[in-house]
Amino acid sequence: MSTSLNGTSGGRGTNAAPSRPVGELVFAGLIVCIGIVGFVAGAGIPIPPSAGVVGPRVFPYLVSGIMVAIGIGLIIQLLRGHTGAAEEGEDIDPDVKTDWLTVGKLVGFLAVHIALIVPLGWPVAAAVLFFGSAWSLGAKPWWRNAIIAIVLALILQFVFAGLLGVSLPPGFLLEGVEIFNG
Amino acid sequence: MSAVVLGYVPNALGDAAANAAVREARQRGAKLVVVNTTRADRLVDPAFADDDDMSRLQVTLQESGVDFTVHHGTSKDTAAEDVLEAAERNAAELIVIGLRHRTPVGKLIMGSTAQSILLGAACNVLAVKG
Amino acid sequence: MDNFLALMEGFSVAMQPIYLLYALGGVLVGTAVGVLPGIGPAMTVALLMPITYSLDPTAAIIVFAGIYYGGMYGGSTTSILLNTPGESASIVTALEGNKMAKAGRGAAALATAAIGSFIAGTVATVLLSFVAPYVAEFAVQIGPTEYVALMIVAFLTVGALLGSSVLRGLASLGLGLFIALIGVDALTAQQRYTFGNPFLADGIDVVLVAVALFAVGEALYVASRLRHGPVKVIPVAGRWTSWMRKEDWKRSWKPWLRGTFIGFPVGTIPAGGADVATFLSYASERKLAKGERRKQFGKGAIEGVAGPESANNAAAAGVLVPLLTLGIPTTATAAMMLVAFQRYNIQPGPLLFEVEGALVWALIASLYVGNLMLLVLNLPLVGIWVKILQIPRPYLYSGILVFAAMGAFSVNFTPVDVFVLLVVGVLGFFMRRYGYPIAPLVVGIILGPIFEDQLRRSLAISQGDPIALVSTPIAATIYIVLIVIFALSFWLKKRQKAMESEVVDPTPVAVVEQKEGGK
Repeated sequence: MSTSLNGTSGGRGTNAAPSRPVGELVFAGLIVCIGIVGFVAGAGIPIPPSAGVVGPRVFPYLVSGIMVAIGIGLIIQLLRGHTGAAEEGEDIDPDVKTDWLTVGKLVGFLAVHIALIVPLGWPVAAAVLFFGSAWSLGAKPWWRNAIIAIVLALILQFVFAGLLGVSLPPGFLLEGVEIFNG
Repeated sequence: MSAVVLGYVPNALGDAAANAAVREARQRGAKLVVVNTTRADRLVDPAFADDDDMSRLQVTLQESGVDFTVHHGTSKDTAAEDVLEAAERNAAELIVIGLRHRTPVGKLIMGSTAQSILLGAACNVLAVKG
Repeated sequence: MDNFLALMEGFSVAMQPIYLLYALGGVLVGTAVGVLPGIGPAMTVALLMPITYSLDPTAAIIVFAGIYYGGMYGGSTTSILLNTPGESASIVTALEGNKMAKAGRGAAALATAAIGSFIAGTVATVLLSFVAPYVAEFAVQIGPTEYVALMIVAFLTVGALLGSSVLRGLASLGLGLFIALIGVDALTAQQRYTFGNPFLADGIDVVLVAVALFAVGEALYVASRLRHGPVKVIPVAGRWTSWMRKEDWKRSWKPWLRGTFIGFPVGTIPAGGADVATFLSYASERKLAKGERRKQFGKGAIEGVAGPESANNAAAAGVLVPLLTLGIPTTATAAMMLVAFQRYNIQPGPLLFEVEGALVWALIASLYVGNLMLLVLNLPLVGIWVKILQIPRPYLYSGILVFAAMGAFSVNFTPVDVFVLLVVGVLGFFMRRYGYPIAPLVVGIILGPIFEDQLRRSLAISQGDPIALVSTPIAATIYIVLIVIFALSFWLKKRQKAMESEVVDPTPVAVVEQKEGGK
């Protein structure tokens, strides 16, 4: 319909969505928690008599202390309203709402990929990952996605397993094919 | 009133197709529906006309005196789907497209908008070759 | 003249046909990823690392050096033709270069950027060849206490200066140090933070974390906010030999040299990386311009492309000085280069020039060669680079995910590593979302173990007295320099911000035409 220039927001450091601090607070809280876990688990590190003045616990305690301090500092900053500026990039639209569904789909297809490597072999798992990700990100039409996924998986298997000797399991489908095995 | 649908691309081939479409529309006394859409899924889409291209095209079409509408912008569907959909909606009697040469490999990887239109069209398709 | 001879020896290695081929491959891949959105040189080196195990060290290092330099060239092409600066270092190039392109002077902008990058890269590599051995000679003499001081400098500058928020940078650094602690303590062989899990006892591989953060995290983040709407490329007309007019040469050569001598020193000190250098160069060019030319700034002044692009490349060479001589990376890409060295059991640091002299000089020689290749390749091949931009985003990011998964699996050939990739990738997604910089985490993982080792050594020497850490003259000097660097860079950041708002705001950086379907 009309041409809209995102002029003012095209710059840097846009502070988006007001709902963000909740997530940010959780993340900062997580940093504090990691520090606390660091102290608790750090106390369980055995100190052998051979250890010198500075044993294996000192540095972990130091790091844990820094984490707790920074985490608390971040929480205070957030409560005062200083939120972080989300990263920018060429393909990032700072003004759209987070598309959780797509992120979830991608994570899901990575999980499927992990589950498929051993039973079906790497090429099948890789093709599924590419096809799934391309579909999640909105590529069309589906048959072209499928062709590219299969061709890409076979090329990678051929180049890296066949030529360079990286031991990617070919799976039972390609087990007997010489060029796909290292 | 019958319709002729033009799948426009902003290059010499597209302008040739536009001329052919104008001729056809005039001959048939049909209105011309110009389609140029992008899925906006890449940084650079050479097949998508910018506003300058479109205003240039509109000037040409106005001079020709044919009755025309323009369908231009981003779309969820592929360019081929948009052309076919416009043809169906307007009960078009002809679709005009530019057809460029492509290697078999290029066709396999990129697919072909022209091919999808040829296969999916319910009416005649005029493929202009430059 | 020893160094000169060593450099010649390096050339004799780098000029071997097979290594020339690797260098060519490196610069091609580097330029391609520099042009492509969403992929940077750091991500590329991380992605390629697991699958280049079979290469010999020299070949791998030459490939990575090519990617490192190539990425710098590629970035300027997109900025000029598309006005979409991917990294802050190319904002000014986008500013002036794109204006030039719109005025039909795109070819001149591309040419001055490429030639300036070549000159700056070459001069800076010469400086690197002569400065680095002396820094290394000095570095050999320093003890663990001074090392601790140097690493604290690296931690604080990378952690506090790279991002927009000091606390977030330090938090990212802390996460890296923590991940590095997981595994077996090198000095006492005690398990730390392994929670009895045999998989964690081996520690978490740096490469795995880097691939996860740079590739998977980025892909997930882009997926969450995918930009829609194509950008119009500004066509470049004419044969590339006629791109620069006589006047363009006259206006460019001084900014090239000034940019070089601003960029190299800024690159060597860890004060915020290449973007500081480009802004300093841009500011000085604007100051030095007179009359009519000054008015052109902001509207497409060739000096505003020539200077910053040179500074950018010179800084890239400068970054290699602390990396090669002290083993301290100051940018994300430098951190990945350090990991690449470590993969082959090569520890960059004071002894590198002695122990691995042949390799280092071959690397430096390949930088000269790569620079020349980039100049020759970039001018005539602009059309091809622009074609790469037509790859649909879904395929690009799916490809990145497949490559990342392959790299992760290749680390130990177990799906467990791919699972770690996924978990750390999700962490990377949230870090980007909430504005935590990635580079400090990677630097933390890499330097953490070395830092702990040196810290414990120096404390063992002093019988546990922490005062000893600051009381040696060299260490004390380093800390004072640290304070100066901080004061200086905060001042610079302020200037940069002031200038950014002054120059950038009235003319939007990313003018993306977004159109709704006209149905």
